[in-house]
Amino acid sequence: MTNETDSTNTAESTQPVIRSVAYTPNGGGDQAYEVIDAIRRGENPTPTVHPEVLESDSVINVEKFNLWYTETQAIHDISMKIPRGAVTALIGPSGCGKSTLLRSINRMNDLVEGVRVEGGISLNDSPIYAPSVDVISLRKRLGMVFQKPNPFPMSIFENVVYPLRIDGERRKEVLEEACEKSLRSAAIWDEVKDRLKKSALGLSGGQQQRVCIARAIVADPEVLLLDEPCSALDPVATLKIEELISQISERYTVLIVTHNMQQAARVSDFTAFMYLGRIVEYGPTATLFQTPALIETEHYVSGRFG
Amino acid sequence: MSDTNTTHAVHARRRTLPSAIGEPMVWLTGGALVVCLSMIVMLVLLVVVNGSKTFWPRAIEQVTLHDGEVFLGVATEHERDVETGVLHTLYRVGNRDIGQESFRWIDDEQISSIETPDDAVMLEREAWGVWFGVPESIVRVHAGQEDTVLAHGSGDVLDAYKALHKDARKTKAKIEQLKKVELGSINSEIEALRLSIRQAEIEASRGDRGLIRLGWVLWFVFGVLAVGCVGLVYRCRDMGTELGASNARQGELIRTSGVIAAVMLVLAMWIAGPWKGQVVDEAQLETMRADAATSEAALLVEYDEVIAQIREIEDVDHELRLVIVEPTSGHFSPVSQTLGDEPMYVSQVVRLVQANTLSTRGKLGVFFSRWWEYLSTNPREANTEGGVFPVIVGTVILTLLLTIFVTPMGVIAALYLREYAKQGFVTSLIRIAVNNLAGVPSIVYGVFGLGFFCYTVGGYVDTGAVESARMGATGWWGMFVLAGVLLIVGFAAKLWSKPNPGKLPTSFNKWMQRGSWLVWTAVLVLVVMLVTRTPYFYGFFEARAQDGTPTFGTRGMLWAALTLALLTLPVVIVATEEAIAAVPNSMREGSYGCGASKWQTIWRIVLPGAMPGILTGAILAMARGAGEVAPLMLVGAVKLNQDLPISTQAPFIHADQSFMHLGFHIFDLGFQSPDSQAARPLVWTTTLLFLAIVFALNFTAIMIRSRLRAKMAGPTV
Ligand SMILES: Nc1ncnc2c1ncn2[C@@H]1O[C@H](COP(=O)(O)OP(=O)(O)O)[C@@H](O)[C@H]1O
Ligand SMILES: [Mg+2]
Repeated sequence: MTNETDSTNTAESTQPVIRSVAYTPNGGGDQAYEVIDAIRRGENPTPTVHPEVLESDSVINVEKFNLWYTETQAIHDISMKIPRGAVTALIGPSGCGKSTLLRSINRMNDLVEGVRVEGGISLNDSPIYAPSVDVISLRKRLGMVFQKPNPFPMSIFENVVYPLRIDGERRKEVLEEACEKSLRSAAIWDEVKDRLKKSALGLSGGQQQRVCIARAIVADPEVLLLDEPCSALDPVATLKIEELISQISERYTVLIVTHNMQQAARVSDFTAFMYLGRIVEYGPTATLFQTPALIETEHYVSGRFG
Repeated sequence: MSDTNTTHAVHARRRTLPSAIGEPMVWLTGGALVVCLSMIVMLVLLVVVNGSKTFWPRAIEQVTLHDGEVFLGVATEHERDVETGVLHTLYRVGNRDIGQESFRWIDDEQISSIETPDDAVMLEREAWGVWFGVPESIVRVHAGQEDTVLAHGSGDVLDAYKALHKDARKTKAKIEQLKKVELGSINSEIEALRLSIRQAEIEASRGDRGLIRLGWVLWFVFGVLAVGCVGLVYRCRDMGTELGASNARQGELIRTSGVIAAVMLVLAMWIAGPWKGQVVDEAQLETMRADAATSEAALLVEYDEVIAQIREIEDVDHELRLVIVEPTSGHFSPVSQTLGDEPMYVSQVVRLVQANTLSTRGKLGVFFSRWWEYLSTNPREANTEGGVFPVIVGTVILTLLLTIFVTPMGVIAALYLREYAKQGFVTSLIRIAVNNLAGVPSIVYGVFGLGFFCYTVGGYVDTGAVESARMGATGWWGMFVLAGVLLIVGFAAKLWSKPNPGKLPTSFNKWMQRGSWLVWTAVLVLVVMLVTRTPYFYGFFEARAQDGTPTFGTRGMLWAALTLALLTLPVVIVATEEAIAAVPNSMREGSYGCGASKWQTIWRIVLPGAMPGILTGAILAMARGAGEVAPLMLVGAVKLNQDLPISTQAPFIHADQSFMHLGFHIFDLGFQSPDSQAARPLVWTTTLLFLAIVFALNFTAIMIRSRLRAKMAGPTV
């Protein structure tokens, strides 16, 4: 994490300044970080995408997607397909646009003043940035969990069934059943089943995050978006959430942002390595962590560069 | 090397200035706090002490002066005369019926002796203030016969009095009840009959037959259209709500304009409803008059029966007389000034206090019975005696009403400012304006309330639009349709003023934005014009207004509550805005992430989260509003109105009535009382009561808030 801020700034300015790069080339001296250097220069090198990614059926399709926060571009011409029914991890140094990409998928960025996008994202082949799209029904098809646990100041039960409530569901049996099911899926049912009517704010951070996951999956979303769900948690809670992700990945497509390489290695089937708003390498997790195509990726996942 | 040297030099140079010593500031700030607190404590103590001693029974002194005059009285004040420098005492001597002032200053030098005779009593009577004297007898008077003396001599009289008084008071209460309820309802029925005839006459003289025909036609056409409208909206309900549906904006526009159109049509049906302006012809009017006359005659018979019943009870009641004699002149307390030669009825005595023989327990009994009387009965004697029950009710109802009005208004305004409006120059301007509103002198609100609420709005409710402002039917309907069309246009402009997803607003969007504001403003103006200039509305209380007794077009509870709501609005807006801003954005994001709309997020997340803050605003508004007097004098508080603003008769809350208010009552007692000496202790007591009520209201609200907080926060682990 040597000079991430500097490099971000470099990319953001219109005239990229090339700085002395803080790395010591490993192995043969001729093995420079070609792709990363190109990105730092402001170019958009073609990402290295392993064929396995393209083989499987995709649920989200990002095509030539660009995003600007007012003047600064946070995402540069990203194209990627998210495979259905798998866990895909987005890794990369902080500030590289992982969250931005994730939040573009459920159009959370609409809430930010001055955001502009080009290119498109489609969810099950329907474009989500078309003017005809009702953003609310889009978000109903996606579940999202945030970096900091954000349970609402109400009971655990009400927290979990919130998405159903806003859809107008009132039948008690339906709500109770859905609540139990999703709390079980979120592996927290046994801990909270006796205190469903108590405030969710009384739970520990890890429990709160699992309640948030239960809330995100209660309405059976097509894709679950997780934005560094463990970064605010202690190691034990982190472990629990990771187990939980592995479990729910059987039923949902999961897109998870993490800056923790081990986590990505443990929970995900596919991994995309991002840098300064671009995809550097994207492929099956095992490949990316053991035999990556790029030296940058190898160094990044082993912690030698970042 | 040189670097380290300079560092040392800097360190050596640094010293602690005398001004850095903080000790004096601790004393200064602490002292200031103590001064403030002690002033507040003093104020409360003064009110509590003075207010609570009013009802304590004090010894009745028999004062003999050097010139031989003897009188009974209670010493209320003792002080040195500013001019002459002699000590003098203020005696409450009562007995106004025999032509004396009820309070007398006596120079201490003049007094030759003071005794406290055991048999001296103080009579609290229903009229003419207190009477000091010595009980002589209780007599039963029979018409045309010799009176029978039931008891004679102080002790016997008091015993007999104790046995008789309660029943006498009950009978008296029964008479009052009969007069108020039975006679009152008969009277109001007669009045209602008269008003209905009057209303029919007014409508007959107006006779708009053409309008009614128009009404039927419109009604039919609109009915067909409305059904079509609803059907269209029903069919298009899914349009633009699904991913990839034809177009979100168009769908929303169709749904909303369908709803607007349907509402407009229903409104139109109601406005030109043929069932509303039923024209009565002369023959019908005649039959109505005849019907009313027979009903009235029946009612009058009933009235006479009740009167006879009352007479009967009264005759029995008036047989019992109490003779309490004043020592010097030998006068007894009379029935009234006009019946000065007859001793008073037992039932006229509210309370008889034999102050000089009372034990502490007896005194406590009198004390509490006076407090109870004070809290639970109507005022008497120009408010200087009796209770303040209607005053308490008026104050509490007014305060609750104002809170009920101001809280939603303030919350809605604050919600718009914080959640919907684009933060910028205009919103800052509005905030400044709102804050300045808080500084406007309250009497200004009073003037506004009187002019706008009482006369303008109230007048409209009573009699509809002013004659000169009424428009012709064609023009008005044109305006009506225009308003509907503009409403839809404005909504469309609003829809297209939002940029496409992921795009910055184009200049088209910006123009649409401005255009939508313009159109909304036009719609607002049109709606106001439509309402104020309608030729179809003649008010709800036309007949009464033409009799010169306006119902809502005058000062009253509703307008007072609205005026105070306006006055306290800034408090609620500011508090709510802060509370809304304090709701973390992560909560909103979480809600949006679950697929909630903006309104759902506001309703389910933001408002509950801001609720304690909103309640704080409401509490502050309540406290501010409860203490206001100046505007009330203009918009509704009166010296005396024993009709409570709430009752068990529909509509339960009589918001059109004027009311009594503790703040105004204090002012009235202190400055406008015919007997200011008698009223002075009551000023303190009323102040104490006022403080207690405001405190109780606030305390209740604070309790509600803390329970809410506890419920929301949950156990903090
Ligand atoms: N609301 C925002 N306004 C302006 N710039 C933003 C905003 N959010 C993120 N950015 C910028 O976009 C870039 C990517 O941010 P983000 O997606 O949060 O990175 P990551 O999640 O990978 O750490 C960063 O340079 C960041 O400064
Ligand atoms: Mg992030």
